[in-house]
Amino acid sequence: MNVAKTYRQLVAENERLSQQLDEATETLTAIRTGQVDALVVQGRDGHQLYTLKTADQTYRVFIETMNEGAVTLNADGLVVYGNSTFAAMIGLPLSRVIGEPFSTFVTDESMPDYTALFALGWTEDHKVELLIRGNNTLIPCLLSVNALELDEGVSLSMILTDLTNQKETQRLLEENNAQLAQTNKALEVSNHDLLQFASVASHDLQEPLRKILIFADMLQNRHTHDLPPDSLRQLEKIVHASQRMKRTIVDVLTYSRLSTNDNQFIPTDLNELLADVLADFDLIVSEKRAVVRVDELPVVAVNRGQMRQVFQNLISNALKFSKPGVPPEITISSQVRAIDQTDVQPNPAYCTISITDNGIGFDEQYAERVFSLFQRLNTKDSYEGSGIGLAITKRIIDRHNGAITARSTEGIGTTFVITLPLRQLPV
Amino acid sequence: MNTQPKRSILLAEDDSDDTFFFFDFLHHRTDADLLPGVTNGVEVLDYLSSIGDNDLPDVIILDQNMPKLSGIEALKAIRSNARYARIAIVMYSTYVGPQLADECLTLGATSVETKPLNRAGYNAMIDGILSRL
Repeated sequence: MNVAKTYRQLVAENERLSQQLDEATETLTAIRTGQVDALVVQGRDGHQLYTLKTADQTYRVFIETMNEGAVTLNADGLVVYGNSTFAAMIGLPLSRVIGEPFSTFVTDESMPDYTALFALGWTEDHKVELLIRGNNTLIPCLLSVNALELDEGVSLSMILTDLTNQKETQRLLEENNAQLAQTNKALEVSNHDLLQFASVASHDLQEPLRKILIFADMLQNRHTHDLPPDSLRQLEKIVHASQRMKRTIVDVLTYSRLSTNDNQFIPTDLNELLADVLADFDLIVSEKRAVVRVDELPVVAVNRGQMRQVFQNLISNALKFSKPGVPPEITISSQVRAIDQTDVQPNPAYCTISITDNGIGFDEQYAERVFSLFQRLNTKDSYEGSGIGLAITKRIIDRHNGAITARSTEGIGTTFVITLPLRQLPV
Repeated sequence: MNTQPKRSILLAEDDSDDTFFFFDFLHHRTDADLLPGVTNGVEVLDYLSSIGDNDLPDVIILDQNMPKLSGIEALKAIRSNARYARIAIVMYSTYVGPQLADECLTLGATSVETKPLNRAGYNAMIDGILSRL
């Protein structure tokens, strides 16, 4: 083994080693700069393939597969590297991209921004929106640049985010917003018109009606003895019809005002409220020999006046639609429930209040229709009413974030079930 | 026997039918002295300034909807003059919404009434007004 080498042998070996060193350095550089994916090394067992699994390779895969365009520029602004996303963006093969000045892809209007970006990017990270020339289209892009120190010198790395979709979404959003604003404005106008109408209804319709009532009343009082019975009956019909119209106007007004009054929910003892309402019905209750049973009711956050109206409407209905010759029986019961586990509303609890009567009832197929405006299931002659009462009731319950349903059997009776949250969430 | 003094009532109302109802239904009352009606707020103020302190009415009933000077405007004008501080001012209208009622009471109206529908209603309204004096 220990054979002394000749000078020529040593020189040759030195040359071989220095060549190997050069190759190794070159390979290292290639690996470091990401130009190499795999190495073939001649080992004892023949050629062996080593693939690179270093961070560099990860980044290369990353850059090739990401949705952003990635470009590296040299100091002259020429493209020294571009990923395939960038090539796809501008619709050119990579071979026609490398070596081109990046400015060829920038539209004239974006050129000042690009020039500024190119000047600034070398010293600090920078972002700007530019229009890039694509394949027959212009692509709005967000350009982020930062300077990269590479072995071959400093270069400018640029990431291009295609904003086409974002811009389109933004445009659609703006369009929708504008449309919404317009619709909103139209709604406001129509709401205002409705309110105007309500106020006109309140004054200009009620005014002449009131006079009809008063003059008819005067005639009735002063000429009871001079007028033939027929005329007196007709006068009575005038009064009656006018009164009905007045009630309708007041009901319509109430209904329309429900959409404008702001909500004031105050914890209210419904027992007190109901007792108050029932007191108003004392006369008719004793006239009809009605029996009213009331359970213990909870304290609920309500608009007092509106809730009063709900009870008024439902009890008045129960008394009105009683079976001829049968004393009305009205039962008002309630239940407080903890919140349903499946309920996503963060309200702590709600209550149901049932108002059951033994009246004429109705075919349950109308159970939803009874809550619509001007829906009547009976003729005006047999049962009076504007056909607005239950619509008002439903609207009030809706405004309390509750629900009202009706169950009924013809000839047996009707139950209205109100569901109300015990507390209202602050708006 | 009514031992109460007669109270004087001034009606400001532009509608001749309403003025007719007022006088027709109330003229018989022994406790009320109905002053000749005026038809708008300007006339109310003119009338008030033309009479001496001792002749000022006890009650003014103001219709809300009047030409020239509406009920509310007349109410403001009357309440801004200390000479009229002792006059009870009643606002009345065909329809009195809660907003109008609140506004009138805040401005110093003694009460707010809905226009009555018959003789009994008119007399009940006056009963109420006089009982609060």
